[in-house]
Order: sequence, then structure tokens, then C-alpha cells
Amino acid sequence: MNSKTTYVIMAFCLFLVGISLRGKGPGPGVTYVTLRLPDSLPKPVYDFSKNPLTKEGIALGRYLFYDPKLSRDSSVSCGFCHQQFAAFGHFDHALAHGVYGRMGIRSVPTLFNLIWQKDFMWDGAVNHLDIQPMSPIVAENEMDMPLNELLDRLKCNEKYQQLFKAAYGTEEVTSERMFKALAQFMATMISFDSRYDSVKRGEAGVAFTAEEAGGYKTFQQKCAGCHKEPFFTDFSARNNGLPYSPNMNDMGRMRITNNTGDYMKFKVPSLRNVMVSAPYMHDGRFFDIFQVFAMYDHGQEKGSTVDPLVRGMQLSAKEQRQLYMFLLTLTDKHFLKNPDFSEVMIAN
Amino acid sequence: MILIMKYVNSFCHLQKLFFFNYIRFMNRLLLFLCLLIGHTAVSQSVSITITHEVNHQPMRTNKAYYTAQGDTFTITKFKYYLSNFSFTSESGENIKLPPEYFLVSDDSAASKTISLTGLPLGRYKAVSFMIGVDSIMNCTGAQSGALDPIYGMFWTWNSGYIMAKLEGTSPASHLPGHVLQFHIGGYRGAHQSQRMVQLQTSFVVSTGKTPVVHLVADAATWFNGSNPIRFSETAGFMAPGTIGDRIADNYSHMFSVKKK
Repeated sequence: MNSKTTYVIMAFCLFLVGISLRGKGPGPGVTYVTLRLPDSLPKPVYDFSKNPLTKEGIALGRYLFYDPKLSRDSSVSCGFCHQQFAAFGHFDHALAHGVYGRMGIRSVPTLFNLIWQKDFMWDGAVNHLDIQPMSPIVAENEMDMPLNELLDRLKCNEKYQQLFKAAYGTEEVTSERMFKALAQFMATMISFDSRYDSVKRGEAGVAFTAEEAGGYKTFQQKCAGCHKEPFFTDFSARNNGLPYSPNMNDMGRMRITNNTGDYMKFKVPSLRNVMVSAPYMHDGRFFDIFQVFAMYDHGQEKGSTVDPLVRGMQLSAKEQRQLYMFLLTLTDKHFLKNPDFSEVMIAN
Repeated sequence: MILIMKYVNSFCHLQKLFFFNYIRFMNRLLLFLCLLIGHTAVSQSVSITITHEVNHQPMRTNKAYYTAQGDTFTITKFKYYLSNFSFTSESGENIKLPPEYFLVSDDSAASKTISLTGLPLGRYKAVSFMIGVDSIMNCTGAQSGALDPIYGMFWTWNSGYIMAKLEGTSPASHLPGHVLQFHIGGYRGAHQSQRMVQLQTSFVVSTGKTPVVHLVADAATWFNGSNPIRFSETAGFMAPGTIGDRIADNYSHMFSVKKK
């Protein structure tokens, strides 16, 4: 084989590599990232082989997350409602609100440990982390931004041209690339570093107080069936006995399945970081955790879909106090202050 | 042990990626070699064309048509997914092509020709395909190409692809503007709207020639089949559910092989 042939073949091979890398997957020169997770946890539901984490992908996702240009009038970003100090819930807001002062019908869910979650939203309507952001982006009462227009907006923006190129090798903006970058950023939101976790790991000098230990016992007896450790949710949808609100006319998962057996069923939220993520319930009707205890103790609605695990639950004043003390140990201050998740300045 | 999240480079991960890229690269190389060697790769393709009709007349926007129940209607939008093509050889062998997804839309002439590759040489007697997107692709996350959600064929309020969409008007419709709006979807549980179609048609895949299979899709079947639809009762349906299932049953008969 003469040198010319070799040269042609090599050039062609380079061309082929270029083709194979084009469009899909991370670009050349990215830094791959692996999440360091506690060994005791099950394998994540999220399939990272279809969206490998990269430093550049996460950076793009974070920029998108905090960019109000994702909403119609450039006023509302994802981070507008999902605030880090509230475990990415919405501090002090019962209901999500969006562009032009519009208001939704449900409270803002917290964001962490999402890679173990098989479906999303209060009713489990969204079946994949990648496409979860599509709902708030296009919803009229949230960001109200048609996907096509959003992609055009990003394409014309120099900062995004740089960010997309860094993450994927070319400046091309597609919905798949945008959603996967957002998913990458959200995938890194891991919270397993509360006082409770330290106690469980048997770290030196860390132990529950008598009150906390009492609360943990009550939790295990009365709450852990649904709020299952270590995630403090079993990721299911259940009717916890919360009375139906005629004002909101929200019947939960029944809207999705058309099945009357799903009446008033909502996703079991994690209790991690619960004390920083008030208000509570799908419609944020309780601003104080003791109102939640009171609902379980004597405020439940009766109905055939109410979960047997909560029916007739009783919580004495002492149990409530101790539960409160225990729930405080579930706050992960490292997560709430982790600079990797904090708001980034959006240049233009 | 500190359990706060940390970023570390994973060599194992890198290797895996290189491996996948290598496989992809080899595939490209193989395809290229096939192209070089002869017309083998070209001849192994089959082309499918689709003509849209309503009651055996060509589909035209805003032209008035009638259902078997006597309702007048027009069509302004008509689009659907086709996927999972397979072919039956004359000896009865079923050849499944890799899953591919096509969005056919009446307003796009290009979308009405589907080119499929990878069919071995030989004689064939039947083609089959799915109207819609299989359940796996309904829950695999963000997609591009025909499955990109920008085409308005994806539900955000209840994840899943709209398998087929027909919009128009009818004086019988009680909806605002007398519109018709049928978005048929649902991929799990009791309401699965994917439908398989099998059609008998004989063609030969030989060297140097791409056979063309001409199909007709008749939109009148949506309302006329075993589940007749009256627009005075049902002028729209946009959720997984029984009416959607019935319309999907109806339109599972919309395709036929074009008579020469």
C-alpha cells in the first residue's frame, strides 16, 4: 500500500469518526463525570448510558436551569420556583406561579435524588427525567414557551452556542440536547448527607437525642410504610386521606389513568429536607408540619381509595413533638448549600 | 466517608464509550465498504409511498367529505407515526427491520415516501408495520428525528406520543368553531393505541433495483369502521381512553395496497 492510499484511508477514517460523533452524545474533549453515591443505595433508574454525565453537559444544564429565557416573557426560570435553599421546592408558596402572574393548581415539588424516580409530577404523569422539564416549559400557567420558539431563541444566543459546542461538539441546538443537559444537571442533585445519614453511618460522636430517637421509632411504626428509607418515599402514588378540595377540583392520579381507583392519589413525597420545604401536600394547603400531623391524626377524609396504611392513624402530642424533632434530622445542609447547584449569572 | 457528591473521572466509563464509538465507527465503515463494492446496499432497500384519500377520493384541505353516518366534515391536519416495519418472504420467513420511526404528515410530500434499508434479496409477499410508536420508545426519554417533541406529537400532561392526529371541522360538531380534534394516544395499561397492520403485496428485492410499494391511507376509516363515530356526540378526543382505542381500531384498517 503506498503512502497516498494510506493517507486517503486515514483521512476517510477521521471523516467517519466525525460522522459517528455528530449530533448524538457528548462532544470531543469533554470531561466525564461519575456520581459518587453511597454503596448501600440501589442502582439508579436513570439510564446514564443514554446520557453520560459530563462536566460540560452539567454546566449547560445548570445554565438552562437558571435562565429565565426559557419562559415566554423571560421572567421565569426553573430555578425561579425550584429554590436551592428550599431543597428546590418553592419557599412560602402554596401553588406554583408562572408568567404574567398566572397560577397553577399544585405546589412545587422538591428536586433531589431524581435518578431513582421512575415517574414525575404529583400524579406521576411524566415517565422520564429527560422529558420532565417539557411540562413546565410549555404549560400556559408556568413558562408558556413553545418548544420551537425556545430552540430558536437558544440558537441565536452566543452563550448557548458556546455551551452546546462544549457539551456536544457542535453548536446545534436540539430539544434532545437541551433536555439531556437539564437532566444531567438535575441528576447531580443528590441528597444523602443529613444528620440522620450520619447517625445511620455510625459516624463518631453523632447520635440521635432521646427525642429524635423517639421520633424515629414513631416514624418507623407509622410513616415508613410509604415514606420508605433510604429515600423516605417508596415512589408510589397513594391517597393519604387528605380531604378533597372543591376549590381546586384536583383528583390526583385519576386524571391520568381515568381509573376511579386512583381518586385522590398523589405521589408520596420524600421526607428528606421536609423541614425546609414547606408548604406541604400537593396543593400546599399546610404551612406548618403540625397541621400535617393533625390531618393524619384526626383530619382524614374517608373513602375507598384512602390507603390502609394511614387509615385510623393516631399521633399523640408526644409522638408529634418527637416526630418533629426527628424530621429536623433529615435536613441536608450540605445539599442546600452545595455551590455546584447554586444560581449562575445569566449574561444575556 | 464523606457522602457529598463529588465529580471524578471514571476510566471504566470512558472505555465503555470508546467501545460504543468503535462499534458505531465499524458500522459506518461496513456500510461504506458495501457502497464501494457495488450496489448491494442500494438494492437492499425498499421504498414505500403513501397516498392520502378520503372515501377513495384524494385528500384535500378544506374539501367536504361525508362519513357513513352522513356527517359532513373537512380535514385540516392529518399526521401519524409508522414504525417497526417487517416483511414476509415468499417462503413465509418474517424479516424484522431495526425499529425506525417515521412521521407521515399530509402537508409534507417528503414524509409520504418512506425508504427502508436492510432487506435481503428475494421475493416478498407481505409487509407489516405499526401505526404509532411502541411502548419502549414512549418511555425512553428525550429523542430527536421524527420523535422530536417539537412536531407536536407528544403529550406533556401525560407522557407519551400521539400516535395519530386528525383535525378538521364539521357542522355537526358542538365544539367551539365546529372543530374536529382527534389526538389518539396511550401506550400502557388498558388503553394502548398502537395498531399493527399487515398487507399482502408481492415484490422482489433484486440487485440494482429498489422496489416500490404503493399504499393508500383512507382517512374516512377513522369514523366508519366497526366503531362508527357521530360528530354530534364525539367531535374530539385527546387522551388515552376508550374512544381513542375505538378510533385506533377503526384506523387500523385505513391502509390498503394501491390498485395499479
